[in-house]
Amino acid sequence: MGFFSTIFGFVGFGMGIAIGLVIGYFLFIYFQPTDVKDPVIRPLVEQDSETLQRLLPEIPLWVKNPDYDRVDWLNKFIGIMWPYLDKAICKTVKNIAKPIIAEQIPKYKIESVEFEALTLGSLPPTFQGMKVYVTDEKELIMEPSLKLAANPNVTVAVKAFGLKATVQVVDLQIFASPRITLKPLVPSFPCFAKILVSLMEKPHVDFGLKLVGADLMSIPGLYRFVQELIKDQVANMYLWPKTLEVPILDPAKAMKRPVGILHVKVLRAMKLKKKDLLGASDPYVKMKLTEDKLPSKKTTVKHKNLNPEWNEEFNMVVKDPQSQSLELHIYDWEQVGKHDKMGMNVIPMKDLTPDEPKVLTLDLLKNMDLNDVQNEKSRGQIVVEVTYKPFKEEDIPKDFEDSNTVQKAPEGTPDGGGVLVIVVHEAQDVEGKHHTNPYARILFRGEERKTKHLKKNRDPRWEEEFTFTLEEPPTNDKLHVEVISTSSRMGLLHPKETLGYIDINLSDVVNNKRINEKYHLIDSRNGKIQIELQWRTS
Amino acid sequence: MGLISGILMGIVVGIALMAGWRHMMRYRSTKRVAKAVDIKLLGSLSRDDLKKICGDNYPEWISFPVYEQVKWLNKQLSKLWPFVADAATMVIRESVEPLLEDYRPPGITSLKFSKLSLGNVAPKIEGIRVQSLKKGQITMDIDFRWGGDPSIVLAVEAALVASLPIQLKDLQVFTVVRVIFQLAEEIPCISAVVVALLAEPKPKIDYTLKAVGGSLTALPGLSDMIDDTVESIITDMLQWPHRIVVPIGGVPVDISDLELKPQGRLDVTVVKANDLKNMEMIGKSDPYVVVYVRPLYKVKTKVIDNNLNPVWNQTFEMIAEDKETQSLIFEVFDEDVGQDKRLGVTKLPLIDLEPDNPKEIDLRLFPSLDMLKIKDKKDRGTLTVKILYHEFNKEEQMAALEEEKRILEERKKLKEEGVIGSTMDAVGAGVGFVGSGIGAGVGLVGTGIGAGVGLVGAVGSGLSKAGKFMGRTITGTSSSSKKSGSSTPVTPQENGGAKPA
Repeated sequence: MGFFSTIFGFVGFGMGIAIGLVIGYFLFIYFQPTDVKDPVIRPLVEQDSETLQRLLPEIPLWVKNPDYDRVDWLNKFIGIMWPYLDKAICKTVKNIAKPIIAEQIPKYKIESVEFEALTLGSLPPTFQGMKVYVTDEKELIMEPSLKLAANPNVTVAVKAFGLKATVQVVDLQIFASPRITLKPLVPSFPCFAKILVSLMEKPHVDFGLKLVGADLMSIPGLYRFVQELIKDQVANMYLWPKTLEVPILDPAKAMKRPVGILHVKVLRAMKLKKKDLLGASDPYVKMKLTEDKLPSKKTTVKHKNLNPEWNEEFNMVVKDPQSQSLELHIYDWEQVGKHDKMGMNVIPMKDLTPDEPKVLTLDLLKNMDLNDVQNEKSRGQIVVEVTYKPFKEEDIPKDFEDSNTVQKAPEGTPDGGGVLVIVVHEAQDVEGKHHTNPYARILFRGEERKTKHLKKNRDPRWEEEFTFTLEEPPTNDKLHVEVISTSSRMGLLHPKETLGYIDINLSDVVNNKRINEKYHLIDSRNGKIQIELQWRTS
Repeated sequence: MGLISGILMGIVVGIALMAGWRHMMRYRSTKRVAKAVDIKLLGSLSRDDLKKICGDNYPEWISFPVYEQVKWLNKQLSKLWPFVADAATMVIRESVEPLLEDYRPPGITSLKFSKLSLGNVAPKIEGIRVQSLKKGQITMDIDFRWGGDPSIVLAVEAALVASLPIQLKDLQVFTVVRVIFQLAEEIPCISAVVVALLAEPKPKIDYTLKAVGGSLTALPGLSDMIDDTVESIITDMLQWPHRIVVPIGGVPVDISDLELKPQGRLDVTVVKANDLKNMEMIGKSDPYVVVYVRPLYKVKTKVIDNNLNPVWNQTFEMIAEDKETQSLIFEVFDEDVGQDKRLGVTKLPLIDLEPDNPKEIDLRLFPSLDMLKIKDKKDRGTLTVKILYHEFNKEEQMAALEEEKRILEERKKLKEEGVIGSTMDAVGAGVGFVGSGIGAGVGLVGTGIGAGVGLVGAVGSGLSKAGKFMGRTITGTSSSSKKSGSSTPVTPQENGGAKPA
């Protein structure tokens, strides 16, 4: 008897729990309102000390750390924009979700899936501080501390077999400190080619998930489990050094990398016009590619010759064969005074077939204006041979990351040796007593190289690269870099002035392969120079 | 017995479990909401809040200026600047050079940038303030400072002279830029952006113009004239309430509300002046008054010889676009051989006026409107004016807009025919609409300005291209007429510039 009553007792208990749960569900949960109310926000000044105590762990980083900047203006901006943003985002989400739902429904015998409510709530995300890091590389790094504590209401109603179930997401909270890196910086808008986002810490995620009105996340243990799961998933994907990469520009194009070489052979000119009063003209040809910052190339001067033969060859680096063109100008050389123009013409690069030499005979014009009557006058002709040789695909460094990693030395470098690359980036705060027209002079194993002169500039940017091919690593060598200013006038008083110098031991470069640093200049007040050194081995 | 007690116990446990769950739900929900509230509160802290939180350990490095500092933005900007400068150079060249070509006055064969570089010094943003002054709009004020070292050389080739390079040096721009974002409920949530320079504090734009291998000072007064022109252009195109409206995104929106439109008409009667200062060595001053709201539409009274208490009783009609911020400026001059001397100036904020209620006001004259510069507090006399402000209704506003449009078209046509030789005519035509009188102030500028003004024109036109819509334009008209409308005041001066060049 006792045995049976125990059995019945257990059975009854089991049934009782089921009944009790149902009663309890209808009693306590079913009639709970499912709509999300806007929380009441009282100004901080009115709060008591207990609430303040609760606030303390959430104090924004800009209050605690002087190296974080306050971005309340941004918070305000987002705050005002939030209602609009909310509506726009929800609209977009609905529009995206609709076709996907329509496609998926028939597979699972579900009648319909609908958004009963979709709003992100009234609380906007806030930035609780912004920190930026300055490095010597071509990149911008910023670390906002993002806190999204929203009161969204996303309710999805699923209907199947005549029953309706709702899933509701409420009180979504995401706290994260992403690092946003913009690199590489390029000289065309928007001035960076890629956005890299990665998380510096595991993010904090919290939310309520209500299934038919009951919040699953408040079952003890489950919440922690789900949270850890999400954190780990996200961390696996985006925790530093893993990144989310968003390309903005095609870096190769943005960087204006060379894509080929143009060989120009200036053969001869015919029937040039006489420009000098006495005797014939002294012609020479000047040529350059449009949009190129490099100085023009010149042929030699053929004295007293109106049908000169040059047969001189030149090579030019092509960056964009679609838009660039070769400009040829013929000038009359003069001992004194301005050289006279004798005519010009232009060869558009896009007219050339790659790798095919082409001999062109061009009429010389005054300018490229087709309507100018002066162009009808005969000025003679020029004959040139041009060949456009695009780089082979494998020659072009595919990934622009190469600019940051060390390239291989070219073939033919001796074993154990390599190529030392010195990039003189820029200097800051260099100042001469009498003039500041700086150029950098580098001295390595007795060899001297110079950058170009920049006039009247205290913060010159050269961005010039020099290479030395060496038999063995320069472990015991030093590099001497000097910033020198020369007088722009023919002044006899102060023709030259040293603005500062620096000696760099090269052993570090051999070990590190690449060093990019700012050095303080010796014999200069505040001067600094940024030099990048690379040791490329095969 | 066992079954029933089992069921009962089960029910109790079941209900208790549910009650416990609900309790957990409530507890977690309130915790989350409380946290959300905290985060929201901490997103916009004020000094008092922080004092309350930190107590005695208030961090000293924190301050709360009206314009919030953005050190991080400046750091990024200075790092990015060389690249921005390069990119901007290309854009400016591409967009402004064809415009220069378009607006090239006859006599000049070529107008090009021979050198354009924005220099090494990055602009600085001193602070940013965000407000919501109107529903659906965000107003962002940016305190912008640029003491740059750009190197801009404009090559002017005239028919007679080979080439005259004009260099712009030591550019300094200190101004507060007001950017208004019109919000929309479609991504990207911004339907239009309005850009203007705030009038208060006054924008400061300084620069030096230099003729390479020559001197601009060779022509006396030239640099003053250029400055005057630049100022007129800036105040008339960019300074609040004038603005540039840029529509954003594919969403067609009605932006006519954002644009500046004639709001009302002012009937101004300059009655008389008393106790004017005597500026002449022999005899007395020969005073006249220049009245304007926008420097572009200046009107002038007749000159009354030898009188320190002149009576003019002349009436002018002026147009007001923004009653809240605009002012009526009265300048009293002494006509003289050579340059006219200013006897005094005064302004009347339009906000002081009541619509359709004629009023006679005595205004004290000051040596300058810039209160910082006034040294002597000596009385400069008073000016008596009668003013009636009439607010336009819809039809009148449309009529005024049409009228304005017509005048702009006319000016454009005149320009095409090459009739306008000097600004005098152009302004005269423009003023014909607002009333009678001659545009004296701008007229001053009209004669013989070097091609340096061309540069200003270029900047103006560039802006007009960028903005597409200038202040004081009419939505729905073709953009070409808008461009001409905003740039015509400049071009005649380029025209004049051809002569001395």
